[in-house]
Amino acid sequence: MALFSVLQTTFLLASLSLRTYQTEVWSEPLPWAPESLKVSINSTRQCLHLQWSVHNLAYHQELKMVFQIEISRIKTSNVIWVEDYSTTVKWNQVLHWSWESKLPLECAKHFLRMRSAVDDAKTPEQRFWSNWSSWEEVDVQNSLGHEPLFVFPKDKLVEEGSNVTICYVSRSQQNNISCYLEGVRMQGEQLGPNVSMFNLNHVAFIRETGTNIYCKVDQGDVIKGVVLFVSKVLEEPKDFSCETQDLTTLNCTWDPGRDTGLLKQLSQSYTLFESFSGKKILCKHKSWCSWQVAPESQETYNFTLTAENNLRKRSVYLLFNLTHRVHPKAPFNVLFKNVSATNATMTWKVHTIGNYYTLLCQVDLYGEGKVTQHNISVRVDGEHLFGGLEPDTQYMAQVRCANANRFWKWSEWTCQNFTTAEAAPSEAPDVWRNVKSAQGDCVVTLFWKPLLKLQANGKILFYNIVIENLDRSSISKLLSIPAPANGTEVILDQCLYQIHVTANNSVGTSPASVIIVSGDPGNTEVEEERVKGTEDGFSLSWKPQPRNVTGYIVDWCDHPRDPLCDLQWKNLGPNTTSTVVSSGAFRPGVRYNFRIYGISTERVPYLLEKKTGYSQELAPSDNPQVVMSNLTSHSFTLSWKDYSTESQPSFIQGYHVYLKSKAGQCHSGWEKAVLSDDAVCCKYKIDNPKQKTFVVENLQPESFYEFLVTPYTSVGEGPHGAFTKVTTPDEYSPILIRIILPMVFCILLITIICYLKSQWMKEKCYPDIPDPYKSSVLSLIKSKENPRLTIMNIKDCVPDSIEVLNKQEGTRKSLTETESTKPTYLYLLPTETSYSGPEPCICFENFTYNQAASDSASCGHVPVPPKAPPSQLGLLTSPENLLKSLEKNYMNSLGEIPAGETSLNYVSQLASPMSGDKSSLPTNPPEPALCSEYKMQMAIPLGLASAPSSGSSSFSSITLLDEGEHYH
Amino acid sequence: MKVLAAGVVPLLLVLHWKHGAGSPLPITPVNATCATRHPCHSNLMNQIRNQLAQLNGSANALFILYYTAQGEPFPNNLDKLCGPNVTDFPPFHANGTERTRLVELYRLIAYLGASLGNITRDQKVLNPNALSLHSKLNATADIMRGLLSNVLCRLCNKYHVAHVDVAYGPDTSGKDVFQKKKLGCQLLGKYKQVIAVVAQAF
Repeated sequence: MALFSVLQTTFLLASLSLRTYQTEVWSEPLPWAPESLKVSINSTRQCLHLQWSVHNLAYHQELKMVFQIEISRIKTSNVIWVEDYSTTVKWNQVLHWSWESKLPLECAKHFLRMRSAVDDAKTPEQRFWSNWSSWEEVDVQNSLGHEPLFVFPKDKLVEEGSNVTICYVSRSQQNNISCYLEGVRMQGEQLGPNVSMFNLNHVAFIRETGTNIYCKVDQGDVIKGVVLFVSKVLEEPKDFSCETQDLTTLNCTWDPGRDTGLLKQLSQSYTLFESFSGKKILCKHKSWCSWQVAPESQETYNFTLTAENNLRKRSVYLLFNLTHRVHPKAPFNVLFKNVSATNATMTWKVHTIGNYYTLLCQVDLYGEGKVTQHNISVRVDGEHLFGGLEPDTQYMAQVRCANANRFWKWSEWTCQNFTTAEAAPSEAPDVWRNVKSAQGDCVVTLFWKPLLKLQANGKILFYNIVIENLDRSSISKLLSIPAPANGTEVILDQCLYQIHVTANNSVGTSPASVIIVSGDPGNTEVEEERVKGTEDGFSLSWKPQPRNVTGYIVDWCDHPRDPLCDLQWKNLGPNTTSTVVSSGAFRPGVRYNFRIYGISTERVPYLLEKKTGYSQELAPSDNPQVVMSNLTSHSFTLSWKDYSTESQPSFIQGYHVYLKSKAGQCHSGWEKAVLSDDAVCCKYKIDNPKQKTFVVENLQPESFYEFLVTPYTSVGEGPHGAFTKVTTPDEYSPILIRIILPMVFCILLITIICYLKSQWMKEKCYPDIPDPYKSSVLSLIKSKENPRLTIMNIKDCVPDSIEVLNKQEGTRKSLTETESTKPTYLYLLPTETSYSGPEPCICFENFTYNQAASDSASCGHVPVPPKAPPSQLGLLTSPENLLKSLEKNYMNSLGEIPAGETSLNYVSQLASPMSGDKSSLPTNPPEPALCSEYKMQMAIPLGLASAPSSGSSSFSSITLLDEGEHYH
Repeated sequence: MKVLAAGVVPLLLVLHWKHGAGSPLPITPVNATCATRHPCHSNLMNQIRNQLAQLNGSANALFILYYTAQGEPFPNNLDKLCGPNVTDFPPFHANGTERTRLVELYRLIAYLGASLGNITRDQKVLNPNALSLHSKLNATADIMRGLLSNVLCRLCNKYHVAHVDVAYGPDTSGKDVFQKKKLGCQLLGKYKQVIAVVAQAF
C-alpha cells in the first residue's frame, strides 16, 4: 500500500513536472513571430491588405512558415474569417496578404490579428504557434465625411450569377431609408443603428452601362446611389491559330467568344506571350494580333494567349513550327494568251517565300456549267494550257497556291474571265412553216428556233433563206433576215418550193435546214378530236402512217388568243406515234389546238390529225348575251347567236334555260330547279351546243317572267347572274292595235285635209257673211210655210250709203300712217229704178264700214290700254286724241297687225252692246266676244226706215269718227 | 518737402499698386493693345444674341436626353438628383451694364464649356451608345466656343478687356459613376435655368 502511494506520488510529480515543462515550452515566444503589421483597404475592390515582416531571420535564411489570420467584424469576438497562409519567408522580407470582403468595408468595423508557426522540415522542433498579435482595427466610417447618406460599394464589378452585398450608412438614425434596384425596393438587414445591408444573390446582366442602385430618405430630398457593373463570364479564346504569309510576320487569330458585356474600359485585354523568346505583347484587337518573326530565324514558337479582365484570366497555348504554318498570298497578274475558239493559255505570278519554297497551285476553270481542275507546281511563274473549249464561250479561271513541301492552307483565289473566239454555227436551224392561201397565192410564214449557244458558236447575225422553185429548178428568191428575227413571211404562187434556211455568224454559215412547201396548202378536212390535258401537258397520239415518213411534227400556239399566237412545234422521229406536249405557257381555261403533220420522204409535210383540248377546263365565267324577240302573249324567242363556243374556258356541252314565273309550274320538257338563292324556277336543257335559239312557249298573257340562259360544261355551268325580265302582253292588245291604228291614221288624215282646206271649209261651213240661201233656216222656214217670213233679197234693198277707205292691200301700216289716209266716201244712193216701191223689205242697216275699227280687232271700239291712267283715257274719247295716244303708246302693238286683216269688214251696229254714254267708254271696254255676235235683223216696215238724206250721210260720217257711240 | 516726398508719394504708390493688384476684374488699360486672333464680326451683339437663343432653345432637350440616358432613378427624381444646386456656379446679373454682363457671360460660358467637356468625356465612357446625347453635347459645346470667342471680341473691341479671370467646375474624373451622372445632371439642370435668364438679358 505504501509502495502504491509512493508510486502514485511519483507519477503525479512526474506528470506535474512534465506539464510544467510543456507550459514553459508553449509559452515561450516564437522567435519568428509576425511583426510590424499594417492594414490598409482598397475601396474599389473592397479588399483588406495586410503587410508584415518576420524579424530574427538570419541573413539569407529562408524558412517555410504558416501564418494564421483571423478577421472579425463589428466586434472582435465575431470572427468571420480564419485562414492559414503558407509561404517561404526570407530575411528582411515584407509579406503581403489580401482578403476581399463580401460586405463593403465602409459599412462595418473590421478587426484583424495573426500568428505564425514554422512549417519547415529543417526546424521540426519549432512547430507550434506563436502568440496572437494584437487586434488591428479597420474603421472607414469615420473618414467618410459629413454627408447624410452613403451607399457602398461604388462601381462594383461582379460576374453574372455571383452574390453581392450592398449597404448604406446614414448619419441620422431618425431617417427611414429605402433602397431600390431597377426601381424595385430591396429588403435589407440592419447591421447597426444606422447601417443596413442588402444581399443580392445571383445577379443578372442587365446592360452594358451598369445598374443603378440607390437609396433615398423617405421624408427628405437625399438620394445616393452606386452603379453595379455585371459582367458575363469571360470565355477562353477559341480556335487560336498563327500563320505567316512571308516568313517575317506571324498573324495570330482567335475567336474571343461571347462578349462580356462590359464597357470598353472594363472589358478584357489579350496578351500574347512566346515562351522561347520570352517576348510578350499586348494585342490591340480582340480577335487577332501580329507577331514579328525574329530575324535569327526561330523555327519553333510556343505561344500563350491570355484573356484577362478585372474578374478572370483565361489562357490558351499553341506550339508550332514556323515553316509548317505558311499561308501564301494570292497569286497575281493572271493573264490569258493565244485565246482561240477551243484553246487558251493562262499565266500567273506568285509571291516568293524564301528561296527554296515550291508552291503547288490549283487552277479551276468554270464554263458551260462545268468545272475542271488542274494542279501545277510553281516556283515563280505559273502557266497552263486549257484545251477543248467551246467557241464563243465565257470562262472563269481561278488559281490559288499552297506550300508544296508542307501543306497548311491554300491562298485566296485570284479570278480572271476570258472568252473563246467564235466558230461557224454547227447545226442547221430548226425550221417550220405555216401556209395560208390568199388571193391565189400561197402565204408561207417561216419560223425558226434560235440556235442553242453550243450550236451557234457565236453571235448569229442573220439568217439566209433561199427559195427554190422545184418545178423550174431555179433559184427564185434569196432573202437575208437579220437576227434576232425568228421568222419571216414569203408569198409564193401555187408551185412547189424548196426553202433552205441557214444561220450565219461572223465566222461562217450553218448547215442548211430544208423544208418543202407545196403549192397546195394541204388543208384537207381532218376531223378534230378532243384531247384532255393535264398539269404536265397534253398527251397526243396518232395513227402510224402506212407510207414512208421521215418524221412527224406537232405544232400548236402557245397563246391562241393573241393574233401572233406564238407558234411552237416539236420534231418527232418516224417511229413515234405519241408525244407529250408541255409548255410553261399553257394556262387553265384556254383551248389549245394541235396539228400533227407527217413529213414525207420528199420532205413535204402533210396534215394527219387535229387535236384540241384544255390543260384544265374551267366553268364558264360569262353567260351569252341573249336577245329576246317575237314576244307574244304566249311565247317569246331567245337568241344568242353571237356566243362563241370556241373561246370559252371549256367545251360547251349545251345550255340551260332558266325561267322564273309567279305560277311556278313547269311545262313539259322543263324541270324544276332550285337556284343558289333558294329560288325555284323551271329549267330547260339544250343538249346541242350549236343550238343558239330557243322559243319559250306556253306562257300566260299579261304575266311577268324572268329568264336566264347559261352554258353548261363538264366542270359546271355559267354563273347564275341577273335574270332578264319580261312581261307578256295582253291577248287582245294586238287586235286593238290593228283597229285603233288605222282609225288614228284616218282621223289624222282628215285633220290634215281640213287644215289644208280650212278656207274652203270655212266658206262652206261657217262663212263670215253667211249666205242665207244656204242656211238651214231657210229650210226650216219653208218647212213651217210661213209666207211672211222670207229671205231678204239683196236686189230688193236700197242701201243708203257705203263708204270705202282706200287702202293699199298687202302693206302694213301703222296707225299713224292712217292719218295721211284720207277716206274716200262712196255713197250708194237709192235709185229710182231699183226702188221697188213701198213694199216692205228686209235689209241690213250697215251704217258704217270702218277700217280702223276692224284693224283694232274689235267691233268699233278702240282698245284701251288696261293700265292707262284715267286722265289719259278721258282724252281718248276724241278721235284725234285717240290717234295721238295710240301713236305714243301703242304704235308697236297696233303696227303689227297683219295687213291682210285690215280689209273691209262688216260691222253690225246692232250687235254692239255699248250704250250711248260716252263716259262709260274708257271704264267699260267692250267685250270682243260680244262684238263678234251676229244679230240678224228682221224685216221692218219700209216707213220706219230712215230716209236717205244728206243729214244721214253726215251722220254716217260722224259714226266713223266716233265709233264709241252707237245709235239705234 | 522731403518728408512729403519720402512719406506720401510712396504711400500713394503703394495704394495705387494695391488697387491694381487686388482688382477682381483686371481690365486692360485703354491704351493697351487688345488683339484678337481673328477680326471681329461687325454685328457681334446680334451674333451673341443668336447664339444665346440657340443655346436656350436646345438646353431643355439636352437636359432631357441626359437624364433619360442615365436610367432610373434620374428621370423620376429630377428635383433630388438634378436640382440646380451647383455651389460654385458663376453669378450673372441681368440688370448690370453691358460690360458687366459680358464679363459675367464670359465667365459663365467658360465654366459651362469646361463642365460640358467633362460631361461629354464621362458620357462617352458610361453611355457609349447614347449617340444623340453625344451629338447634342458636342453641338452645345461648339456653340459655346463660338459664343466665348464673340464675347471676348466684344469685350476687347468695345471695352478693351483682354483677359477675364474664370473659374471652372469640379473635375469629375475621380468621382464614382453614380456621382458623375448626378453632377452632370445637376450642371445641365442649372445650365437650362441660367441660359434662359442670360438669353433674356441680351
